[in-house]
Amino acid sequence: MKRIRLIALFSVFALIIVACGGSAEPDPVDDTTPETPTTQDSGFEGLAVDAGGCDYGGKVSSITALDESTVEFALCSPDPAFLAKIAFSVFGIQPAEHIEATGGAPLDNPIGTGPYSLVEWVRGDSVIYARNDAYYGQVAPHSTAVLKWATEGAQRLVELQSGTADGITFPSTDDYQVIEDDPDLVLINKPEPNIFYIGFTNTFAPFDDPDVRRAIALGIDRARIVETFYPPGSEVASHFTPCSVQHGCEGDAFPDFDLEAAQTLLADAGFPEGFKTTIYYRDVFRGYLPEPGAVAVEIQTQLMDNLNIDAEVVVMESGEFIQSSTQGQLEGIHLLGWTGDYPHITNFLDFHFNADNPQFGDAHPEIYEPLSQASKLVDAAEAAPLYADANNAINVHIPMIPVVHSVTAFAAAADVGGSYAPPWGQVMFNLWDNGTDTVVFVQGNEPISLYCADESDGESLRACAQVVEALYSYSTTGDVQPQLATECVPNDDLSTWTCNLRQGVVFHDGSTFDANDVVASFAAGLDAANPFHVGNSGAFDYYSYLWDGLINAPEE
Amino acid sequence: MLAYAARRILLAIPVVIGIMVVVFFLIRAIPGDPCTSLLGERATAEACERFNEANGLNEPIYVQLGIYMRNVVTFDLGESIRFSRPVNQLLIERLPVTTELALTSLAIAVLVGVPLGVLAARRHNTAVDTATVALANTGVSMPVFWLGLMLAYGFAVLLQDTPFVLPPSGRLNPGVLSTPYFELWEWELQEGSLTAKFHEYVANHYLLNNLITRQWDVFWDAVRHMILPAVALATIPLAVITRITRSSLLEVMGRDYIRTARAKGAGERRVVGRHALRNALLPVVTIVGLQLGALLGGAVLTESIFNLAGVGRGLFDAINGRDYAIVQGFTVIIASIYVIVNLLVDLSYAYLDPRIRLE
Repeated sequence: MKRIRLIALFSVFALIIVACGGSAEPDPVDDTTPETPTTQDSGFEGLAVDAGGCDYGGKVSSITALDESTVEFALCSPDPAFLAKIAFSVFGIQPAEHIEATGGAPLDNPIGTGPYSLVEWVRGDSVIYARNDAYYGQVAPHSTAVLKWATEGAQRLVELQSGTADGITFPSTDDYQVIEDDPDLVLINKPEPNIFYIGFTNTFAPFDDPDVRRAIALGIDRARIVETFYPPGSEVASHFTPCSVQHGCEGDAFPDFDLEAAQTLLADAGFPEGFKTTIYYRDVFRGYLPEPGAVAVEIQTQLMDNLNIDAEVVVMESGEFIQSSTQGQLEGIHLLGWTGDYPHITNFLDFHFNADNPQFGDAHPEIYEPLSQASKLVDAAEAAPLYADANNAINVHIPMIPVVHSVTAFAAAADVGGSYAPPWGQVMFNLWDNGTDTVVFVQGNEPISLYCADESDGESLRACAQVVEALYSYSTTGDVQPQLATECVPNDDLSTWTCNLRQGVVFHDGSTFDANDVVASFAAGLDAANPFHVGNSGAFDYYSYLWDGLINAPEE
Repeated sequence: MLAYAARRILLAIPVVIGIMVVVFFLIRAIPGDPCTSLLGERATAEACERFNEANGLNEPIYVQLGIYMRNVVTFDLGESIRFSRPVNQLLIERLPVTTELALTSLAIAVLVGVPLGVLAARRHNTAVDTATVALANTGVSMPVFWLGLMLAYGFAVLLQDTPFVLPPSGRLNPGVLSTPYFELWEWELQEGSLTAKFHEYVANHYLLNNLITRQWDVFWDAVRHMILPAVALATIPLAVITRITRSSLLEVMGRDYIRTARAKGAGERRVVGRHALRNALLPVVTIVGLQLGALLGGAVLTESIFNLAGVGRGLFDAINGRDYAIVQGFTVIIASIYVIVNLLVDLSYAYLDPRIRLE
């Protein structure tokens, strides 16, 4: 029941401005200079996307272009993570006309406002970008950027060593030492906002007994796992959420390894001789679990040696494992992890420990109630004790054992200035300076498409982010910062966010960025009934996931 | 011969259909599904339902098979789920990469392997023979994955400040573009037409395109990029061809007609070149044909290591991504090429050995 409304605003007023000689050409804008709103010389008909209420179950009620430089997001419930979400490059803004002209599928010809415009996607080989000389931010020091890909970490390293690349993603952990020993290269630690945990589902015995869960938590030497299987810089998890996320480490740290207490607790729980169980995992590399099989066997060994628990290790097909574990269907222990999508604690705690998540069995009100309260608060200081309560309750009920926050790395040539690996978002090539006219970066895979509203893989997002920008972005250190918006201001209960847009910004096709482009971009992704809701797969997964569902999604 | 060829082609049709059906079911039997592969592990059940519906994956399996077979008959290999692009277009882009690589590798293997085999046979039981056999055995045993990385490391890293430096990956240096001959020659081709697609396919053979258009800088760049992967891929067929040539020539050299030729006073070069080698080549040609088929379909590792977007790597990625249309489409093409190459090999027998009649 979507309604797209064309709202005729200020048309008479605009005509008067034209008569008075308003300029049609936007002024170049320096990102360090506060914007001065300019008046456009044409009538503005503001677009809007309206869900027609909140019965559809999603987060967004409406998005409205109030005027050329103001967009209002009306939400169905308070969302303290709004800014962190809209900084995600999936929500990049393209010209409304371009979305329309491509039938909602600008899969290989994105137009944005970013530091580069797309020159060519040489299929199977590289994506070539040209510097956007009119960029309002930091203009790239080189005229060309090239994004290439090579599946194998060793191959990417050869590219770097041979000088054909200036930077690479994720070298193999085995090669870290090689890179550090090479004076021509630098290893750049990438603080991954992730968690690897050992999960229980408390609807299955004996994990329905909190003392059994606590005994296992105390009886597993997490430090040994981290030291043996994770690259230097990885940390034993003191909390489920990484401390780099605000409020992540409020409250007490998770209990340390205490073998004697673990054995006593297990005996008191009625299992002095241990018991039999199963460890489920999937054999898929992830930053939080680089060696799944080896870690599973290590945990199996520790359970047997420390607690006499006889665990069988079962490897499952990835999709089946995710489905079964997240639905709380695995009778035993499951090894899973999480990499944050956006820098807000709700993406960690609320996602996993809300009242409706069946993964860990019956949810604990002591955990989800303070989370629910905290998610409605504007004041961070006011929310802090609630997150402390939730973290402390996790330590009491132990729905899972947080094991490690791991790090990964990028690598770069030592003579490249400004090389970095951001914890959130995508590395921006315009900040890299190799002293030549071309910078080359090598990642693991080819982008699937360059319309990232409908993509979810990091390789596509990295390729898109060079061209298309969102209202907010993540800084090099992971902070959320204004990008195409100068600011987004919430109302008192965080349910309406009003975004003032940067003015004078020009798309790569020469058209001027305005509020309608924001609405059109969001409408194409969020509204399933929009004629331009086409994309690549058509799933618009992150729109659905981060905004709790699509507007006008077809009924099953 | 024409009747023979026609009969062989007709007989190949059920073979290709059989392969299509087997691949159709095999790819669906692999655990995992396209939705999870493409949308990621956070995809909801509702999203997957919509995805499957949109891509026809909710249809009964026999309906999917029927649609697939019907489309193939009309030369429509379907659309990639992952890239939302026609498989035919992907083949136009990727098949030339694999063809160039395979033919270059085979050329290296034949041009080096046959003379080495002849040399080893003529110096039978000498140090040269022993060394050649040892080299051939090493070549057969060497993992392409390891060899490729070593070649890349050696020529791109260790020799990077010498004239022997070679690029470790890709087809051209960043920023170097291969302009298609039809653009250079300003041919007017109707966009999307079959003719345009054909010319695009031909022009994607960078070596050929830049040779005929005399874009020498680009041609040389393409040659430099081709050397390492071609050498890596040629290693095994080279070793096989060397061994087969050697053993076949040794067998022929013991025949009566060779002794007769020598008795008539023919020189050793004439004996070997005119009488022995031609007869010894029959099994070599068979092997070369089989190797070409294998190279066209099996260059997965080489293409991955050297970052070449060929058919083999595309097929491998598609299997991982459960992109059914690509797997099915690429397999049909590879199987068809294999059948055609085998037919050409059979036809070449009649030329090499006039006693053979194709009936």
